[in-house]
Amino acid sequence: MKTPTVLVVVGALAMGAAGCASSDRVPAEQAVTRFYTAVHDRHGEQACSLLTPEAAESLRTGGQTCAETILDLDLPGGQVRDAEVWGDEAQVRLTRDTVFLHRFPQGWLVRGAGCRPRGDLPYRCEVEA
Amino acid sequence: MKRFVKENSLSLFFLVAFLLALAGQSFAGNAAANDRLLSEGGAPISWGQYVTSSDFAVDVAENWQSEYLQFLLFILATVWLVQRGSPESKKPGDEGGESDAEQKTGRHATPGSPAWARATGLRQTLYGNSLGVLMGVIFVLSWLGQSVAGTASYNEQQLAQLQDPVSWGGYVTSGDFWDRTLQNWQSELLAVLSMVVFSIYLRQRGSPESKPVGAPHRQTDVEG
Repeated sequence: MKTPTVLVVVGALAMGAAGCASSDRVPAEQAVTRFYTAVHDRHGEQACSLLTPEAAESLRTGGQTCAETILDLDLPGGQVRDAEVWGDEAQVRLTRDTVFLHRFPQGWLVRGAGCRPRGDLPYRCEVEA
Repeated sequence: MKRFVKENSLSLFFLVAFLLALAGQSFAGNAAANDRLLSEGGAPISWGQYVTSSDFAVDVAENWQSEYLQFLLFILATVWLVQRGSPESKKPGDEGGESDAEQKTGRHATPGSPAWARATGLRQTLYGNSLGVLMGVIFVLSWLGQSVAGTASYNEQQLAQLQDPVSWGGYVTSGDFWDRTLQNWQSELLAVLSMVVFSIYLRQRGSPESKPVGAPHRQTDVEG
């Protein structure tokens, strides 16, 4: 009696977990596109509103606001190449940048931008939560 | 109803205890996950989101696979291996699959024997190994589930730490997968070893998992 239940639960767990990787790529990519559009259009306030609270806070340094600092960073950007979503975290690869995002109730927000790989170590990012 | 409960109290007790423990794990795990999310600058998640997450799935599956492996090994090892004095073991000299007469199969089946025990050939072979086969199938599926859910959970952590995600193949050769797997296996194997050895010398009055209190230490294959 218990066997089919166990099999169904295990299958559902496996399929549920597998499904995480393929869903929600488009909203994450759109969030990155909105972020870089704001940066290129020199709309610092709008760009900062698309950062996680901690990432925005990290740019309030030296008497400068987040909106001023983010426009000074010369973030590379580029065209979206691909994206991976795992749970509430996402990585969007652009032609000249890699962006990390976290999913909040209101949508995807950028937690790392202007990121360069360092082998097995975490990426080093210009904007980092 | 009362009679049903009385005659099935052992299964019902473990079913209820299992469901309570699983529910407790889901709430405790949700609290722990939210602590981690907040410390990483993320947003907390609801209980419903947590119990459908890869974090919960991998924590459940990694324990299930090790439990079913434990019983699979116990069932199969006790066919061929013995421990003198243990009620979990057959008598030394009785190792192996035993004869049809001893197993009440084929023409030695009794009127109350299951139909597939009375049959011959593949059906009898299948039924004669059905307990081990089922435990083995659940073990493999749970371990597979652990690997898939573990990949998702591991990759979520990787991204949260600004690191690249890995493939399923990369995950099943990673330290995280084998750490989760082996830490469960070692505890299950120790538990079986303890049960086999302790029950040679120690007793639990009234339990069929123990020898009768007065049974000699060297006596094997008797249950109280």
